[in-house]
Amino acid sequence: MNTRQVAKGDRAFFAVSTAAAMFTMFLVLAVLVFLSIKSWSTFSQQGLAFVTGSTWDNTTEQGTFQIWPMLVGTIVVSILGLIIAVPASIAVAFFIEFMAPPKVARIATSLVDLLAALPSVVVGIWGIFVLSPVAATWSQSLSGTLSFIPFFRNEFSNAEGAPFIAAWTIAVMIIPIITSVSREVMGRVDKDLISAATALGSTSFSNMRRIVVPTAKSGILGGILLGLGRALGETVAIFFVLNLVFEVNLFRPLEPKGGNVASLIIAKFGEATPEELNALMAAGVVLFVMTLIVNMIATSIVQRSERRMAS
Amino acid sequence: MSQYSVESLERPLDVTPWKKRSPNFRYIIIATALIPILVSFAASTVLEISGAGILLIVFLPLQLSAAAIAAVVTRGRRGVADSQLNVLVYFATFFVVIMLGSIIFSIISWGLKAVSPHFIYQNNVYITPTTSLEYGGAGHALIGSLLVVGLATLIAVPLGLAVAVYLTETRGRFKGPVRFLAQSMSGLPSIVAGLFVYALFIATGTVNLAGWLGSLALALLMLPTVVRMSEEVLKLVPGDLRSAALALGAPQRRTFFQVIMPTAKAGLITAILLGVARVVGETAPLLLTTRLMSETSVNPFYGDLATLPTFIFSNLTAGFDTGRARAWAAAFLLLAVVGLIFGATRALTSQKVK
Repeated sequence: MNTRQVAKGDRAFFAVSTAAAMFTMFLVLAVLVFLSIKSWSTFSQQGLAFVTGSTWDNTTEQGTFQIWPMLVGTIVVSILGLIIAVPASIAVAFFIEFMAPPKVARIATSLVDLLAALPSVVVGIWGIFVLSPVAATWSQSLSGTLSFIPFFRNEFSNAEGAPFIAAWTIAVMIIPIITSVSREVMGRVDKDLISAATALGSTSFSNMRRIVVPTAKSGILGGILLGLGRALGETVAIFFVLNLVFEVNLFRPLEPKGGNVASLIIAKFGEATPEELNALMAAGVVLFVMTLIVNMIATSIVQRSERRMAS
Repeated sequence: MSQYSVESLERPLDVTPWKKRSPNFRYIIIATALIPILVSFAASTVLEISGAGILLIVFLPLQLSAAAIAAVVTRGRRGVADSQLNVLVYFATFFVVIMLGSIIFSIISWGLKAVSPHFIYQNNVYITPTTSLEYGGAGHALIGSLLVVGLATLIAVPLGLAVAVYLTETRGRFKGPVRFLAQSMSGLPSIVAGLFVYALFIATGTVNLAGWLGSLALALLMLPTVVRMSEEVLKLVPGDLRSAALALGAPQRRTFFQVIMPTAKAGLITAILLGVARVVGETAPLLLTTRLMSETSVNPFYGDLATLPTFIFSNLTAGFDTGRARAWAAAFLLLAVVGLIFGATRALTSQKVK
């Protein structure tokens, strides 16, 4: 093999890998562009009202397609899910990394990673048959005892299908994700620093406050945002446990009226008219842009904290 | 490290680690563990609140204050914050274990009721949601899932590996953006991947719903996982190996295929398996790109094709008891597949450590 052949083969090798990398970059753009082209008619017809209005009507010739209640619902469910999931995940990560015996920690770590890959349809079936009835009793006792606060009021007879229950389902799905990221970041905290602090009389609480939290906080924040991205785009599990209603429900999470962009797409897709189909594509574009922004922020935070840890 | 300021140089007077702990402390600790539980049990028989309510309203505050008192007695005021942290962390961990354990437990217990040998190999022809469980199965869906996911793997793995090579072996100028976009893509909602494939192929009228379209959507979802995992694995290969191979005159492509790839084999297989585990249960894109049928098909390139996730979905939405039982059974199969994949990755990674 002479040098020229070597150079030629290597050039091909690098050309293939570079092409693959460029193709991957191009894919993100392609998803955005193709969906936007398909849904352009909806955007131009509905204008800004597509996002800010709250009517969905496919009976007229043109149709009126607006997704504001779904968008609000998506955000409400995701935020509530985070409120449940974040403290729990950080506690579990702290437990695995600093409190559990090594054997337990190893098993817990692989379990968390397994649960992060739990299919959403599996969580959905659990959510509808096991969680919903139980969470409905929680919801009823909340609305029974705290109904003087508008947030906890429920003027309907049933509690199932409420954003409250969807939030629990989402929380169960994102707890493993946030836990897994936080655990990894906490694992990179310098153990010598902790030993030194303990020798100086630091307790495990002050270790956490002064060492673990300051060094790991940006990584944990990245993990939370990754979980948020997952929550915003979750489809099937929410489709099963949430009652979709075209009415904005921002402050009454216990009432069985919710919205979710991704579930809307699944719910309407089967019998959609051509115009409606374009509107669903447009909803997909909105969802994609939303999750892309969240994920980009998350990725940049995680990458920056990784770089800082490495140096 | 200037941000960790030392608050006081003097020893706080209540810190006396050299003092022997009184043996009586043991009773205090046992009492702090038992009293809140006993009181909560008593409260649950008297009050009419649900179990979760008792835990949250009665048990947690009681346990927190009991732990605080015990901490003051045994360790002085400085122990209080510690004890609160301990109680909260254990409480939250317990809660998460219950929630996640409940998923696994209910799928296994419900699934085993309906799973039978014929459920694994029979298909669903002549079966309606109300047919009794003695007939029919999800064999066709299992085959379909394997086909669709296998095809997605064939697409995503070479592509992902090539991107990982670009990120680790070359001096490309766009490493940063490529890594960034590949990572951001890991949050691509699965339904958007399905919509994209639908918009690209089906809505334009070029092709009908078919298994390979589902594979394309799954490959899109699998790609980021494969890229990130294999990049990390390739980074772990010692640079000396690389330099040694190059110094012996091997071209870079042969260095990669004959030295680096064999070294990283176990890790690369793990990366692929994790990618598969990520997409094997994806439902939303398959609902948009494939059509469920009850016969067995082995052709992912033309016609309808059943997959496990869509099988579960349609049985659930049909809404009969036997349909639900079938859905649980299929969910059990799906969980078993994911579990097997994870078992394989565990075995591979533990081998690597040895």
